[in-house]
Amino acid sequence: MSEAAMLSLSKSLGGRLAGNATLKAGLVLSGLILFLGFVAPFLDPVNPYTIHPSHALQAPNGQFLFGTDELGRDALALLLSGGFTTLIVALPAALLAFFIGVTYGFLSGLGPAWLDRLLMRLLDVVLALPSLIVLLFFAALVPQSNFNLILLLGLISWPSLARLVRNEVLAQRGRDFMLAARQSGASSAYLARVHLLRVIAPILVVNGTFMIGDSVLATSALSFLGLGVQPPQESWGSLLQGALDIAALDPWWLILPPGLLIFGALLAASLTGQGLLQIWGNKR
Amino acid sequence: MNAVLEIKNLSVTLKRGGRDVTILDQLNLRIAPGEMQALVGESGSGKTIAALAIMRLLPPGAAITGEILLNGENLAAAVEPRMRQVRGKSVAMVFQNPLAALNPSRTIAAQIGEAWRVHQGGSAAQARARALELLDEVGIPDPKNRLNDYPHQFSGGMRQRVMIAMSLACSPHLLIADEPTTGLDPLIAQQIMTLIARLRRERDMAVLFVTHDLSVVQEHADSIHVLYAGRSVEWGAAAAFFQHPRHPYSEALLGSVARLGQARLRNIPGNLPEPEQRPPGCRFAPRCAYASAVCSTAYPPADAQGATLAACFHPLPRTARPAFAETLAPRPARNFAPLLDVTDLGVRYRGAGGWFGAARRLPPSLAEVSFRLGRGECLGVVGESGSGKSSLGRAVLQMIEYDGQVTLDGHDFHAMAGRAKRDLRRKIQVVFQDPRESMNPRMTIGEVIAEPLRLRGGLNNAARRARVEALLGQVGLNPEMAARHPGDVSGGQAQRIAIARALAAEPELIVLDEPTSALDVSTQAMLLNLLKDLSLKHALSYILISHDFAVVSYMSDRIAVLNAGRIVEMNETAALLSAPRAAYTRALIGAAPQLQPMQA
Repeated sequence: MSEAAMLSLSKSLGGRLAGNATLKAGLVLSGLILFLGFVAPFLDPVNPYTIHPSHALQAPNGQFLFGTDELGRDALALLLSGGFTTLIVALPAALLAFFIGVTYGFLSGLGPAWLDRLLMRLLDVVLALPSLIVLLFFAALVPQSNFNLILLLGLISWPSLARLVRNEVLAQRGRDFMLAARQSGASSAYLARVHLLRVIAPILVVNGTFMIGDSVLATSALSFLGLGVQPPQESWGSLLQGALDIAALDPWWLILPPGLLIFGALLAASLTGQGLLQIWGNKR
Repeated sequence: MNAVLEIKNLSVTLKRGGRDVTILDQLNLRIAPGEMQALVGESGSGKTIAALAIMRLLPPGAAITGEILLNGENLAAAVEPRMRQVRGKSVAMVFQNPLAALNPSRTIAAQIGEAWRVHQGGSAAQARARALELLDEVGIPDPKNRLNDYPHQFSGGMRQRVMIAMSLACSPHLLIADEPTTGLDPLIAQQIMTLIARLRRERDMAVLFVTHDLSVVQEHADSIHVLYAGRSVEWGAAAAFFQHPRHPYSEALLGSVARLGQARLRNIPGNLPEPEQRPPGCRFAPRCAYASAVCSTAYPPADAQGATLAACFHPLPRTARPAFAETLAPRPARNFAPLLDVTDLGVRYRGAGGWFGAARRLPPSLAEVSFRLGRGECLGVVGESGSGKSSLGRAVLQMIEYDGQVTLDGHDFHAMAGRAKRDLRRKIQVVFQDPRESMNPRMTIGEVIAEPLRLRGGLNNAARRARVEALLGQVGLNPEMAARHPGDVSGGQAQRIAIARALAAEPELIVLDEPTSALDVSTQAMLLNLLKDLSLKHALSYILISHDFAVVSYMSDRIAVLNAGRIVEMNETAALLSAPRAAYTRALIGAAPQLQPMQA
């Protein structure tokens, strides 16, 4: 793409962005979540792992703005470091799943018919397994580390995107402009790179954002089940789970913030995706 | 006589991008019982909006001024509950695409019966009897046994008959037919028109026939009303109109319709103006050969000096002889050097197979097709849908698998592989029917045309850009167009761009697959003439695939007539037209618009 085209594209994108409230809300919320996850932990001087036994389970007050947990750790510091851990796992996992899904879909949609049939049957098998159970199984099997967690999450959450991409590629590859390109000697790789990526870019971007939301949720869910991020590290999910363990004591200041942040991260991804769909979806 | 429909000063304004745009401006027309009036115009003329306004089915945000009198009642002021009574009962509508207008999951008896019961009440048995009666009336063979069939079990033409039966259910006073034959094969289209013409006579029903196609109007319409860019330009008796069109636009439009035996099509220079950019005064003035200073001052009043009324300051005198009344110039016999040799071509599609089972065998869509094509020659391939003409094109293009031999420049495609095959294949290019589909909507025009150059390699960016500009010039477009996107150009321009892309690959043969059937009439002529000139200049060969006999005969040196996958007749164009041997060819020629001899 030439520079001028780039410029005009970014201009028109900017114009449409300004007019789209959904996208604006999504981007603002995403920025907030990213700030909380990646910047705020390093601004907060409090060590999340310092225990103040005499201040255990205190409601928010002047010294501890978000209160303390049952061990007497600062809840705000825990929340911020937990956010960092959650995002550092969820985002790479989503990226990994995204690339596997897109590649798989392109191979299946553009490759020869036998390859498509093989890949789709394989996909059926993967889809037939309930992903959470598989996740629990493998999480219990491999040594627990953030890196393994990323691999697990990434390797389990690509199939639905792969199927979507494959169907979209199949629908697009018979269009006249694809045939015309083939007539001039275009290879499948060229079609994928030059034509298909552009035409299905909206779908990819939108589903990519949804995937990030799903990944945050999956990371939190695993932590909640005690299989995700390992102590002393915390994630939003594990914080929520810890708080719910002592729900009888009604520690609302420990339950509400991580719950709201998980919800907020999902909402941010979903709004961004919806917004992008609105400004892109109509021009295909 | 009392008019069934009388429209007075009807204007329609739509909201577009936040602004009010007047699509239709001060329309006046009246239709008497039993009269068939054609409302003719190209895309953007406002003809469909006029039809929708009568039914009050305009998109939200539309504003109507003026009166729409149906048997004296002003529909423009009617409330929605009243309109629901009117729709389907007093006014019925037949649409272009009957498959989209019929519910695929219900039998046709149920759908026709429902149309009747909604307004008339009555029992299910009565509705069924009515459906039977109507199916018989519109000429569905063996209607008794077809009552319980579903829409997909009917062919396109039969579906349109079912639609018509449905619209007749409550004996409407007015039938609005919006492009009812567009997309149908000529033979079928003619049958549908004959049916509508018969029904309105038998039922004394007024018909408003909305179309862009003048050739179907001539035979059946009593009166005609021509719209251009939202305003009436000429209206009156159809017979007089076709004998002596008085508005320069009417004359130009008639001149650009391809008819059998035409020597040269006339172009209308320029483009249709967008509704937002309509010129002041006469809207046709910028494209008109007769325009003078007065034309851009005010919209011309109707001139009643002739048999029809024309809104024009310079209406043509009755004695004017339209320029298209030329006789067919004898085509110079040319000797073509051999280029393409097709021997025993067969194409058979495989039906959907089971998981492991063998695919069902379908009858071949093409069998035993052999022909030769010379350098610079144009071979026309005509046939109805399903005749295999598109398969023929795609096989020559190597887009599908086929039996038999296709040899270009002495090289048999089946005997080649890899890079050599790709290079040979490049020499055959294609122009598709739908100009929008043939370009990636996310590329610029420049990128689209540069694609074959990029794929072949060997040019740097600057050289490529220069070549793209030269190609744009060759197809008569401004080089600045390179920066625009396919969504920002008109259909005619888009088709020129598709031709420029084909030329970029330096082909020896271009397969033209219905290249003009998605275009407006005035643009069609321009494109066909461009293709003719390019062929002469570059010794380009064409295989022109079309269901339109007139277009094919205008372009082709030879014509092959295809029926059920086989060539039933192939001959030089003039010989085929004057002495068709096969009965099927005669039928196709009979359905094509003929050149009517004009009196001086």
